[in-house]
Amino acid sequence: MKNNHIKYKALMFSAIVFLAFGCKKTLDINVSPNNPLIETTTPEVLFPSAVGSTAGRVGGDLTILGGIWAQYYTQANASNQYKTIDSYALTRNDFNGSYNELFSGALADYQLAINLAKAKSDWRYNLMATVMKAYTYQVLVDLYDKVPYTEALKGVENLQPKFDDGYTIYVGLLAEIDAALAKDYSSIALSSDQKKTDFLFGGDMSLWTKFANTLKLKMYLRMVNAKPAEAQAGITKLYTDGANFLTTNAGLAAFDGTPDNSNPFYEYNIRRLNTTTNLRASKTFTSWLTTNNDPRVNYYFGTANPTPMNQGDYTATATQQPTYASATVFAQTAKDPVWFISAAESYLMQAEALERYYGGTGALAMYQNGVRAAFTQVGLATTSVPASYLVYTGTFDQKLEKIIVQKWASFAGSHSLEGFFEQERTGYPKTSAVYSTDASYVAGQWVYSKNGVTSGLFPKRLVFPASSRDRNSNTPAEVPITTKVWWGK
Amino acid sequence: MKKLLQSLFILVFFAVNAMAQDRTITGTVTSADDKLPIPGVSVKIQGAAGGTSTDSNGKFSIKVSSSAKALEFSSIGFAAQTRPIGSSNVINVVLTTDSKALGEVVVTALGVNKATKTLGYSQSTLKSAEVNASAPASLFGGLQGKVAGVNISNTSGAPGGSTKVILRGYSSITGSNQPLYVVDGVPLDNSTAGSDNNYDFGNNANDIDPNNIESISILKGSAATALYGSRGSNGVLIVTTKKGAAGKLKVDLSTATTITNVASVYKLQDQFGQGWDGTYIPSENGNWGPKYDGQLRSWGAIVDNSQLLKPYSFIKNNVRDALTTGIELNNNIALSGGNENSTAYFSYGNIYSNGYLPSDNDSYKRNNFTLKGATKYGKFSADASLNYVGKTTKFINQGGANSGIGSSFYEDILQIPGDIPIKDLQDYKNKFFNVDNYFTPYAENPYYSIYENGSRYKSDRIYGNINLNYKATDWLSFQFQQGADIDNAISKIWHNKNAPSPGSYNAGGNIEGSSRAADAGDVIDGSVKTFEYDSKLNALFNKELNSHFDLDGLVGVNYNDRGSRVLTTGIEDLAIPGFYQINNSANKPTSTSAESHRRLFGAYASATLGYNKYLYLTVTGRNDWSSTLPQDNNNYFYPASSLAFIASQAIDFSKTPISFLKIRASYGETGSDTDPYRVFNSATRTSVPLGFGTLTFPIFGVPGYSISNQLNSNNFKPERVKEVELGAEIRFLQDRIGIDATYYNKLRKDQIIPLPIDPATGYSSYIVNFGSVRNKGIELAVNIKPIKTTDIDWNLNYTFTKENSKVTELPAGLDKVVLNSAYDAQFVARVGQPLGIIEAPTRTYSPSGQVIVDANGYPVYSSENVSFGSTVPDFVMGLANQFRYKDFSLSFTLDWHKGGVFYSGTADLLNFVGADAKTTYNDRRPFIVPNSVQKLANGTYVENTTPITEANTDDFYYHTSNKADAYANRILDRSFLKLREATLSYNLPKSIVGKIGAQRASVSVFGRNLVTWLAKNNNTIDPEVSNFGNDLGSEFGEFRTAPPVRFFGASLKVSF
Repeated sequence: MKNNHIKYKALMFSAIVFLAFGCKKTLDINVSPNNPLIETTTPEVLFPSAVGSTAGRVGGDLTILGGIWAQYYTQANASNQYKTIDSYALTRNDFNGSYNELFSGALADYQLAINLAKAKSDWRYNLMATVMKAYTYQVLVDLYDKVPYTEALKGVENLQPKFDDGYTIYVGLLAEIDAALAKDYSSIALSSDQKKTDFLFGGDMSLWTKFANTLKLKMYLRMVNAKPAEAQAGITKLYTDGANFLTTNAGLAAFDGTPDNSNPFYEYNIRRLNTTTNLRASKTFTSWLTTNNDPRVNYYFGTANPTPMNQGDYTATATQQPTYASATVFAQTAKDPVWFISAAESYLMQAEALERYYGGTGALAMYQNGVRAAFTQVGLATTSVPASYLVYTGTFDQKLEKIIVQKWASFAGSHSLEGFFEQERTGYPKTSAVYSTDASYVAGQWVYSKNGVTSGLFPKRLVFPASSRDRNSNTPAEVPITTKVWWGK
Repeated sequence: MKKLLQSLFILVFFAVNAMAQDRTITGTVTSADDKLPIPGVSVKIQGAAGGTSTDSNGKFSIKVSSSAKALEFSSIGFAAQTRPIGSSNVINVVLTTDSKALGEVVVTALGVNKATKTLGYSQSTLKSAEVNASAPASLFGGLQGKVAGVNISNTSGAPGGSTKVILRGYSSITGSNQPLYVVDGVPLDNSTAGSDNNYDFGNNANDIDPNNIESISILKGSAATALYGSRGSNGVLIVTTKKGAAGKLKVDLSTATTITNVASVYKLQDQFGQGWDGTYIPSENGNWGPKYDGQLRSWGAIVDNSQLLKPYSFIKNNVRDALTTGIELNNNIALSGGNENSTAYFSYGNIYSNGYLPSDNDSYKRNNFTLKGATKYGKFSADASLNYVGKTTKFINQGGANSGIGSSFYEDILQIPGDIPIKDLQDYKNKFFNVDNYFTPYAENPYYSIYENGSRYKSDRIYGNINLNYKATDWLSFQFQQGADIDNAISKIWHNKNAPSPGSYNAGGNIEGSSRAADAGDVIDGSVKTFEYDSKLNALFNKELNSHFDLDGLVGVNYNDRGSRVLTTGIEDLAIPGFYQINNSANKPTSTSAESHRRLFGAYASATLGYNKYLYLTVTGRNDWSSTLPQDNNNYFYPASSLAFIASQAIDFSKTPISFLKIRASYGETGSDTDPYRVFNSATRTSVPLGFGTLTFPIFGVPGYSISNQLNSNNFKPERVKEVELGAEIRFLQDRIGIDATYYNKLRKDQIIPLPIDPATGYSSYIVNFGSVRNKGIELAVNIKPIKTTDIDWNLNYTFTKENSKVTELPAGLDKVVLNSAYDAQFVARVGQPLGIIEAPTRTYSPSGQVIVDANGYPVYSSENVSFGSTVPDFVMGLANQFRYKDFSLSFTLDWHKGGVFYSGTADLLNFVGADAKTTYNDRRPFIVPNSVQKLANGTYVENTTPITEANTDDFYYHTSNKADAYANRILDRSFLKLREATLSYNLPKSIVGKIGAQRASVSVFGRNLVTWLAKNNNTIDPEVSNFGNDLGSEFGEFRTAPPVRFFGASLKVSF
């Protein structure tokens, strides 16, 4: 019996010892074997991820949004997918995915890459990530007018970041780009493995310089209505400093076309939907292309004679519009590129800048370069550019219209959102007083969607998303979708 | 594991060899009331330790020495008897019921047996007979509707699918609400490995063979489960399995054959046929054509210059006739035997179940082996059990289609107009019904997805335990238990590749020029391993302190180690159609792997002090240390106490009709830690969600890691549940009427919530402790025995449950937590509301109360979602009726759930295709939304004169074109009344039974889920089904899932 008592005591004692000392170590198993600790990440893994996020969204569902609103294509009448876009009936519950991914996917990764790069004075990743951060932020500002910036991306330090007005953000971003450009990012080349992480330019830092300058030009041009003096000062400084601008397309052009590694617009609209024919040619765009005998119609629609639908006329029945059943589908492939800024866009922006601030000196060449680059971009010879396109005469407004309309025609599919933004900034293409079924309709003019729910007013922005509205008490009061953003015309 | 096996074999061996002693007395114990044998009667030798108990046939066998004088017989609810030992080796005993008998013993927390009367909280126990009356394949089939406060539903209409068990409602907003399953003292894994919204391979608790179950104790409240600490907050189901009984070899056979078919199917409108926009269009998947006129019409593709004809009229029972009758076989054999020192038990069970879809691609096969042994040697005793479960589940894709990969059967079958005979399409390779020429390009032949796509889940699972006991003194014993549960499963999911041939009907050759997207096909191979080891060491004491006080209790420690490893690899786009290997593609396979591992230490103690056998105070406490909590903050204490007062024992009620009265009160705290890996921040492999599809790294040969969207925290504590429970049990008229009422009030606070945060912070969620939910409820069980004679027994059990949940707090800045959603409908937790309300857009009204419509005549929807109601029922009632006449018995169980709403994705699709009866409003003629106005730019309202045209009627019913009205047709009343179970059994007379050498035999015919009555506005689907798992998110509803199954069967049980 006595022996037994000793045994119990020993047993109990060892149990207590086990609990007291064994516990801590035995319980120390809470580091995930599935995901690396955040401290182990590097700009080399963060930067390409963030670029993927930007491309996935700007080149994906935002290209669908931008392309419908820029009237390249419209919702088919035999399906449903994009009715709310085409009728301007978007609410706070729509496009949350893009807001979420651009912030918590793209911008958070750019910011951490910048912080890590700065910590080790790696000014190459610092520049690349800063420029892409600015590019991504600009898309958000242009869509929402106001988003968090000065208090954003701070994690637990600020769970309710305030919204900054668009101009403040622009100014901040331009300063960030300038600071990154001021560093020595070119004396040490990226290693061959690092070059692979640069999907845009393969580590060519001179192209990054051009991209940075072109982005600055784009941002200043956006301000011409709201902040004309600042826009002029910024652009003339670029020219004074002898800035070089892009002469090549900047973006992602090497998708391998396999599932989960394809052009995001294709992945979304074709591969992952059971109906691949949701987006049909819009008469707004096809009428302009065919009127001008523009050979790009084959590239955009796969045929020289597309059968279009009128914009937003998806409720038409087969009796009302018998041709809609065979309306041409917007042509897409899994390997299509996503352009952030195209060469054509770069040239056409320079043409506008030269018109605005240098009396048009050199603008013609830039304009024609732009038009030709837009054809090269879709694999056409520059000789196939219709002669009428190269004519560049008239008043400033007439020239601006030519510049912007040519830009609009170059964005379809690869960069659709920009076509929508530029119309809001400049008013070109012009809006039509009549619907596209009317005999007096002028080819290429934007028409108010047949099923529009905004009383004849075109959409100008997205309303603040639910993922901000529901979670952040600093979200501003809702602004109607038809109110222009700060730089709008 | 090897050790476990070894010990088990030693035990069984030992048990068989240990039989040798003086003389053996055998006999049968029967009830004076019904002459039926009484199982579980304790048989003891007077004045000596040890003893045995009767088996399920009331038989016992006990070795007695020559000095033994008498045997004592005692059992729950019966007056004890002492019988002298004479010269005969057979003693048959008839026990009479005793209303004052209070000795019923049940299994409580940590497997401790306690007299029911000492419990200060409500506890329900179900016996084997109740669990197995209708031969269900899982332990839950026989429990539905029988216990107040316990909600059991089959979420799946497929064999082997998941069962949802929720005790006392939902309280955890984003954590688990699953009860803990404990089998013979060891926690059992109840994960739903391998399952998702499209594939339901069942929850692991379904693996237990119900034939082996002796009893199930259901611990609902926190005081009852406090000894389980951080795993006890959602209640505990304690399963006790059968063990070997002393006596000669006993063989129990049971066999059941069940026919399965679909229980309830969609009721469709029968006035309008194929077409769209009011026009007959033979390539349409909708019922938006003209009115049925019975005329012959050609339909589908023209193939080889021929086309099919159909009468343009509604086909009755179209869906039901397209489904088949399945079969379910349930066979079990159990062998047991031993002497009073050692016993052994072996059983083998086999289930084969084939669902109501053609082919066996919806089927479930399971083999259960159980081996148990127990032995005693002096003060030592040991027992062990080893269970092996092998199962194979095949499941047909439910929910939404995986676009571009393959289609979903339930989406396809819903898109067949009411005038097309579905069952004819079964010949899916026929030239009219094949990939090229199926009648519509908007969907696929549903039979294609049955025969060409599929899934298979195979698991091998071993669980069991070893128990060592040492009885140190008559009042103190020690127990060590080691348990293990190891599951090793593989899953395979595949879709065949197909594409309409260029130029064919479905490649644009139809009247509408529409093409169906090709299916690339895919293969996904998965491997899931789960493990759980549980050790505990207890010291148990039980001492009569003096003539007034007695004390019993335990002190112990527990160590639990569990986890899982999942590896999946898949490819898209098959090279060779119909060959399902991950190398059969030009695309590279993509793999993901995930491990999860957690540990828990617990130290606990419990003591019950009894006073004069009528007042019992129990105090328990447990301290847990969890690996999933922040290290500096990982240790928590959970106290509980309860009081039971048996008034009828303390006070003389003999002059009143009251035969028993007990009052109980308890308070308990439990908790729950959280999932592993929520403390340190991490990066994740980059996969950019595109909305549809992803962009997944590596791309362009470059790997990517992205900051995880979840911001972790090292500053949180476990969720804590505090619960007060009050109850009373009263019986009248010699127990003819019994009422057991319980009130509980529990608060779950400090909920660990991945708080959604503005993505502008860089993250989309943040782990915090916040949010609380209060659940209050009443549980009532009434038992009435209107007739009780020797030949006739009538027993009614009525249960009533009313549960109110209320979200009392959410994190600052958050007015709701979204739990699930479909399109614009959201299932949310909102402060001040029950846990789980469905919100969606609705109409807006002018100040004078008229419907505001837009320029096209459609109602303008609200910018804010409005509540369509809670998913929590107003009340739940169950009625179990048992009627016995001589050897016949008839029983049935009704289950009524009243109130609540659910979202139906099936209704969504039926509205889209115009098959829902609600789409025939105004005979589909043009109409102006009644009492509607248009708002002018100047803010005034004018009467609306814009009609919804006939051609646009379809737009009126779909959420992309009419959000204001769509959701009212999709959010349906959750109420139902079900005849859950009905059985008619007959105990064969001894004369017949004896001829085959058996002791007892019974035959039964039975049915489960026999009749379902749904709410008036729900013509669509049984509200219990869901493809959103088996926790809170599933309460939202369903998204195109399988209707439930109905079972009819017959069984035979024989004991030798």
